[in-house]
Amino acid sequence: MGVVIEFKNVTYTYPLTTEPAIRDLTLSIEEGKFYGIIGENGSGKTTFCNIIRGFAPSFYKGDLQGEVLINGMVITDYEEGQLALTIGYVFQNPFNQISGVKDTVFEEVAFGLENFGVPVDEIERRVIDIMELTDITHLAEKNPFELSGGQQQRAALASIIVLEPDILVIDEPTSQLDPEGTESVFKIIAAMKKAKKTIILVEHKVDLIAEYADEILVFENGHILKRGNTQDVLSDMSLLDYGVQLPQMARIGNELIKKGVKLEYIPVTTKQATKQLQQLLGKEDK
Amino acid sequence: MWQEKLRIKKNNSIHGLYPFTKMWITFLYCVCAMVLSTITINGYPVYMMVSFLIIPVLAAATGVLKKISGVMKSIAIISLFIVLLQGILIKSDLILYSLNVFNLFNINFYTDSLQYGLVLAFSVLNMGCMVAWFFGATDNKELINAFEKRGMGPKASYVLLSTLQMIGVLQKSAKTIMSAQQARGVETEGNVFVRSKAFIPSMIPLILGSITNTEERVLTLESKGFLVKGEKTRLFDVKPNGKEPIAMTITIVYVAAIIIWRVLLWVL
Repeated sequence: MGVVIEFKNVTYTYPLTTEPAIRDLTLSIEEGKFYGIIGENGSGKTTFCNIIRGFAPSFYKGDLQGEVLINGMVITDYEEGQLALTIGYVFQNPFNQISGVKDTVFEEVAFGLENFGVPVDEIERRVIDIMELTDITHLAEKNPFELSGGQQQRAALASIIVLEPDILVIDEPTSQLDPEGTESVFKIIAAMKKAKKTIILVEHKVDLIAEYADEILVFENGHILKRGNTQDVLSDMSLLDYGVQLPQMARIGNELIKKGVKLEYIPVTTKQATKQLQQLLGKEDK
Repeated sequence: MWQEKLRIKKNNSIHGLYPFTKMWITFLYCVCAMVLSTITINGYPVYMMVSFLIIPVLAAATGVLKKISGVMKSIAIISLFIVLLQGILIKSDLILYSLNVFNLFNINFYTDSLQYGLVLAFSVLNMGCMVAWFFGATDNKELINAFEKRGMGPKASYVLLSTLQMIGVLQKSAKTIMSAQQARGVETEGNVFVRSKAFIPSMIPLILGSITNTEERVLTLESKGFLVKGEKTRLFDVKPNGKEPIAMTITIVYVAAIIIWRVLLWVL
């Protein structure tokens, strides 16, 4: 797998602050992998995403030291707006992701394609496909402001995915959604994973991250505290000392081990926990 | 298929006129109102007052009378205040009517001031209601699309359209904030003083919220390639309905007739 994002000794400090939000970060992100980003509030997760997308320092200003490469090219060498085709960025607040100038969800989803001058026929085809994928076809003629939070977030995801970026940076997309909305958003993210997109997802709902992520990056005070495959990272109970949330299954598994129950490994997903319980009870899948 | 679906369908010929045609009609009507304000009978702007009747007729013919009636009422109230204040407060030699209040003092209506007040009030009424007709008969989207076709930059058109579209959204947010403040015990209903006291705790969250939301909205636009240079596609495309030449001819004939009349009155 090729490297799509590379950080070389990156340190970033916001304007009017003295403490860097990201400290001497060196890492690479591989193509087609799903990365889950976790960590306490203020640990640098969103700043990391903003640097990937170029918003920091181009929009937020501040001081960036080191080098950020996207597909081997220094991020500052990209022309204005061109990164939108390479990196799709979905924000936390679904309401703020509505352009405010479109009367229907269809037009909202098509907005990005209009900006890139895509022909009308192609816009229609791509928007119809994406609306189907994100399950918003029935909302196509509705005003985006009249949608529920979950529907708005799905429309926001659709309006980014329709641009067909290879990399998706998604920053806490479900923080303002109910369980149903959360599930529908994760379904779309899962579909993107299936489509071999590189996904960088910041999310506090670790149980869901455990289900989908290939690799986890744990942020703490502007640097990476731990990085590794989902199973290894999310079963590391020492992370609890840093205020990192771990999946409920992992915490139950850990408690069971402490009480002398012999488990093969600490489960991090429901599927793993079920399998282990079945083994303990001597019942295999039918 | 969708491009056709997104087109705003208007069966009414006046309603369906191209936005710039409606804009010209509005502008020329306002010019006529100004000209008519200079033609008076015994000092009263009778022609200007009569010409005002065109607006409700036009609004009814366009099918937007109900839509703009609220705005028209508000403009009428402002105009009434102008007449009253002008007629009472600006003193002149000739008293038209004197009202005795409880044998304590007199309120005098001065003829000259009232005449001038009527000119002012009907100028506001004519122009304000005509502009209300224009916005009632023209969708924001259509107007901006027409401007874009004339070369307006995408940034300017975005600012204009989002501002117009956001008014409704902000009204909705204000209501939500009001309800939240009510739940916290802030009195939001009652007399003017009670309402004005509730205004600050309601408006501050709305304004601050709008400012903080702007940052994310700007980044969202950037994420959707808004800043990309080059030709943009327009899914929504406003087109003339073919009745524009007729509408413009009628308007120009009306304007010309009034201007000629005005000139003749000066000459003769």
